[in-house]
Amino acid sequence: MSPATAWAVSGMSRNPDEAEPAHGAAASAPVSFEAHMLALLPSLRRYSRSLTRSDSEGEDLLQDCVEKALSSRAQWRGVNFKSWLYRIMTNLHLNRRRTLRRHPSVGIEEAEAMTAGGPGDPLEMKRLSLALEALPADARAVLMLVAVEGYGYREVAEMLEIPIGTVMSRLSRARQMLREQLAEENVIHLRRPR
Amino acid sequence: MNEEARVSEAELHAYVDGLLDEAERARIESWLAANPDAAAMIADWKTQNDRIRAAFAGHAKSMENDVRLIARGAAPKKTSSARRLQLAGAAAAIFAIGALSGHFAPRLLGQPQIELTYAEILPKEAQTAFLVYAGEVRHPVEVFAEEEAHLATWLGKRLAIDDLKVPNLQRLGFKLVGGRLLPVDGQPGAMFMYEDQAGERLTVLLGRNSQNRTTSFRFASVGEVETFYWIDGDLGYAVTGEVPRDVLRQVAEECYRQFPS
Repeated sequence: MSPATAWAVSGMSRNPDEAEPAHGAAASAPVSFEAHMLALLPSLRRYSRSLTRSDSEGEDLLQDCVEKALSSRAQWRGVNFKSWLYRIMTNLHLNRRRTLRRHPSVGIEEAEAMTAGGPGDPLEMKRLSLALEALPADARAVLMLVAVEGYGYREVAEMLEIPIGTVMSRLSRARQMLREQLAEENVIHLRRPR
Repeated sequence: MNEEARVSEAELHAYVDGLLDEAERARIESWLAANPDAAAMIADWKTQNDRIRAAFAGHAKSMENDVRLIARGAAPKKTSSARRLQLAGAAAAIFAIGALSGHFAPRLLGQPQIELTYAEILPKEAQTAFLVYAGEVRHPVEVFAEEEAHLATWLGKRLAIDDLKVPNLQRLGFKLVGGRLLPVDGQPGAMFMYEDQAGERLTVLLGRNSQNRTTSFRFASVGEVETFYWIDGDLGYAVTGEVPRDVLRQVAEECYRQFPS
C-alpha cells in the first residue's frame, strides 16, 4: 500500500446534504433558519451522541450547538447548512474535550454509556463503547462523520477545515485502534466439558 | 503485481466506506483476494462500520422538547413574537411531515437493559475488591486457606449455592490464600484470593445476579487492573488481577470449568 498520493483517486466524495430541503429564493415560502435547524435536529442528535459517552452528554452538546448556531447565524454563508452545523458541533466538542482532559471526570457518566436503543448483545455494546472511548476525540469525530453520517473524505476535510491527508490519517488511526480494542482475543469463549 | 502495488490505504478506506465506483471496487476486490491479511483487516473495518452505525442509528430521532430547545437557544436575544410564531408554524409543518413518516414516534424508553447494569457493576466491584484487599498484608481474607472446607460451606450458605467449591488454581501456580464475604451489587458475595510464589495476587469474585439472565460473553475490562467476567444464569463471576492477561484468562477458564453450572 503506498501512502499519500492516493487522495487523488476519484470518488472519495459524498455529500449526504444533497437531500437538504431547499431554502432561499427558490422556495416559495422561505424556510426559516430555525425551522431548517429543527428539521436537522435528529441527525445532529445522532452525531452528538456518537461523539459522547452518554445520552445526557450528547444532549448537552446538542444544546450548546444549537445555541452557538443561533448566536452566530450571521456567519452562515447560505450554503451547506448541515455541514456548517456539524462543524460547530465538532469544534465545540473538541474544545470541551481539551478542557475536560485537565479535569477528567469519568464515573456515573461512563456507567450510562451507550445503552439507550442500542441493539444487540449488551456486553458487546459495552465493548464497543469502551473502545470508542479510547479513541482520540478528533479521530472519533472523523470516523463518525464517515461511517455514521455518510460524508465523503473531501466533505469532511472541507467541513472541519483540515487537509484531506489529516482526515485520512485520523480515519486510519481510529480504525486501527478500534480493531485492536475489539479484537477477538480480548474475549474469551469459555467451554465447560460436558 | 504491478496493478496490485497501486492499491493504497486510502483506497481501502474508500472501499470500506462505499465511495468507489464499480471498476475501482473490482480492482480492490481482486487485490484483496491475493492479500488475505489485508482482507481480514477490511472485514474488520466493515464490521466496525456496521456496529457503529447500528449503535447510533436509533438516536436520529426527534424529541418532544426540540422546539423548546431551539426557542431556548434563541432566548437570550429575546425571541420576537413574530419569530416565535414562525417557528411554531414551521414546527407544526415539520411535525405533520414527521408524523406521516413516523419520524416523531414517541421516544421508546424500552426495557432497561438490566443485564448491562449488572455487567457493569460486577467488574467494577471486582476491581474495587481487588484493590482494597489484595494489598492487605495481615488481613487480606477473613478465613484462611487452612479452613477451606469451612470457607466453602459458609460462603455457599450465604450465597445460597449448594455445594460451592473453592476453585483450585494450583495447576496455574496460584495457591489459595483464603476468602471473605463481601457485598456484590448489594447482596452477599464471595471473594477468594490466590497468590503465586512471587506473592502476586489475584481474586475471584462471585455474586448473585438477581436479574437472572445468562450472558455468554466475557471480556477484559480496560484499566490498570484487568478483569475477566461472565454471567452464568443467576451467578456472576469476575477474575481480577495485575497479572498478564493471558494468565488471567487461563485462571478464568479454569474457574469456569470448576464452578457449578
